[in-house]
Amino acid sequence: MFHRLCWLAVLTSLLLVISLAAGCGSSENVREPVKLGGIFDITGATGDVGKPYAEGVQAYVKWINENGGINGRTVQLVDIDYAYKIPQAVEAYKKLVTQEKVPAILGWGTGDTEAMVPFITKDRIPYISGSLSENLLTVENHPYNFMVAASYSDQARVLLRWIKDNAAEENPKVALIYNDTGFGRSPITDAEAFAEKIGVEIVDKEIVDLKALDATSQLLNIQKAGADYAIIQETSNATATILKDAKRLGLDIQFLGLNWTADEISLKLAGEAAEGYIGVVPFAFPFEDVPGMKDVREGFALMGKKPEELTQKHIQGWLSAMIMLEGYKRAGENITGENIKKGLETLNEFTSGDLGAPVSFSASSHRGSSKVKLYQVKNGQWQPITDWIGYQ
Amino acid sequence: MRLRNPFVMESGVFTTNYRDDMAFHFPVLAKIRVAVILLLLFLLPFFASTYFVSIANLAGIAVIGALGLNILTGFTGQISIGQGAFLGVGAYTAGFITAKLGLPFWLALPAAGFVTALVGAVFGVPSLRLKGLYLAIATLAAQVIIEFVIVHWETVTNGVHGMFLPAPGIFGYALDSDVSYYYLVLTACIIMTVFCFNLFRSRVGRAFIAIRDRDLAAEVMGIDLFRYKIYAFALSSFYVGIAGALWGHYLRIISPEHFTIGVSIQYLAMVIIGGLGSVMGSIYGAVFITLLPIVLRELSGLLANYLPNIEAVILGLKEAVFGITIIVFLIYEPEGLAKIWQNIKDYFKLWPFSY
Repeated sequence: MFHRLCWLAVLTSLLLVISLAAGCGSSENVREPVKLGGIFDITGATGDVGKPYAEGVQAYVKWINENGGINGRTVQLVDIDYAYKIPQAVEAYKKLVTQEKVPAILGWGTGDTEAMVPFITKDRIPYISGSLSENLLTVENHPYNFMVAASYSDQARVLLRWIKDNAAEENPKVALIYNDTGFGRSPITDAEAFAEKIGVEIVDKEIVDLKALDATSQLLNIQKAGADYAIIQETSNATATILKDAKRLGLDIQFLGLNWTADEISLKLAGEAAEGYIGVVPFAFPFEDVPGMKDVREGFALMGKKPEELTQKHIQGWLSAMIMLEGYKRAGENITGENIKKGLETLNEFTSGDLGAPVSFSASSHRGSSKVKLYQVKNGQWQPITDWIGYQ
Repeated sequence: MRLRNPFVMESGVFTTNYRDDMAFHFPVLAKIRVAVILLLLFLLPFFASTYFVSIANLAGIAVIGALGLNILTGFTGQISIGQGAFLGVGAYTAGFITAKLGLPFWLALPAAGFVTALVGAVFGVPSLRLKGLYLAIATLAAQVIIEFVIVHWETVTNGVHGMFLPAPGIFGYALDSDVSYYYLVLTACIIMTVFCFNLFRSRVGRAFIAIRDRDLAAEVMGIDLFRYKIYAFALSSFYVGIAGALWGHYLRIISPEHFTIGVSIQYLAMVIIGGLGSVMGSIYGAVFITLLPIVLRELSGLLANYLPNIEAVILGLKEAVFGITIIVFLIYEPEGLAKIWQNIKDYFKLWPFSY
């Protein structure tokens, strides 16, 4: 008994003597070169698209160092592969911020970006991630998160607006197809609210798993509900499944999809079934001859990559790095997280050579843009059918 | 009164009454060793970097979760692949209490344990009829159902939007830095470990082991299988719930994506590599799995100075190394790191006459 009391006494007293020396390391002013943190998924579950994103960031950093750096200082990218595992992402974050003292970070997934929010807010680390979840846009709760392209909700709204404007019927009938994850459900409530507002009828909602190999029953439900349009929020694999099954069933439904459904992979997987499919494309395709693409090709040449090896995710990484480092430029000499945030918030209609929609941030909004381009698959190739359009 | 010659290593345990017979017998050296280790652990933040302390926090939380899984899988022989979800139950219970009800963390922590224990007990009910692979699938159902509930029960969990949690506070001082949280995790770890050690000296703990070794024989000996299996599920889930509450309040935000089946697998790997049915093994395993990716990464960074292209190769190998580690352990040392450490100790204890 005495021993037990002894234990308790020791434990509680030690707990009470908790060190107050916990002044957590906010980013210090880094001497040359300036550092940029990266938390990427290269080997994990989303590595297929995470790796090109990471390469895009690396290429941009290489390119800008070849072209004079940031205010005459070279940029050092400290990137860590977290294999899409949240504990590893947290560990990577701690390493970047407390050891490497990076003033800002480029991240990747929805779950881990959300996990970082309290940390980045406390440590004042501006954060741009690959995730376009609407959640990250409330500035009060997410003061250091910035989004460089339209959120999933905005993308869905643009699609609904486009349907409304282009449909023959007065109240077009739309079905939503999504997966039952945070990523999949992210735009659904916003889309429903917007549809009701503009007079589009949501006739059916179907859940198709991200790894689904068959979507027949869901598609038959959609057909039964009488939908003329279906909006897909999935990744490339499930999209291809849906498109192929729809072709097999001979459905007369126009399919439209959000940005993760509209890339080179879904096109390749779906083959002929993709013909006519419309996708939201917030980042340019590498084969397009937009003004910014020259630099991109130069940058990837430095990495030893040929233009035909590039995908849209390379462009996304490139663009994210470009915008973050623009914040560095505007932060001036004293590059701290806070100054980068202020720098980013001065971005106004920042054009990246048409690699993405013009980006604006302000102190009250970190929604870089709500505009996207719509592309349609014609003759086995993605082709733009609109300019940058919004939903207003 | 124990008889002891202070100048030699102990060669046996000699006691003169039953009370002593049932007590822990720590040789003096062991006592000193434990004291030194504890002291070092408590002093760690003073000589280690904040980054190191943050790794220690992750490892500490994993230790509690792994202890919980080991009680169930290692000691009672009931496999569970629902750990990730149970972690979520703990995190969301604690989060609901602190963030939505505004009650203090010190109430939420045990509450998270008890609610998770209850949920664990419910999902443990099939264990009476199901064994081995069948039970694995039943617990997989727990994983799927709980994940579904977390995503869809939006009034409690905020669904896919996740939930922000306040930092736990003590006497007006917020435990929101790595160093302060470290003491919370460390204290919880020590209490949980000591409890676990003691558990297997008690009737309940012995019953668990009996069930693992042969359930029929255990029943013949008068152990109520159903009751003790439920106990095992509840107790294990209690640990996991505490780990979940600590994890949630460390991150300060929780969302369904934190509690996927991948997490369950990771915990299973911890107890297998650490050593099934070993308390210390859970600790070794949790620390090992937490450190493995970090060590591999640092190693690849170091090697990259000499062999420029090796980094990409090692990155690609990381997942493979994880898998290979488990296979190697299963083949060469099924009892895990705990047994390896024991073998090393035995070797030196008996050296040079190891027979």
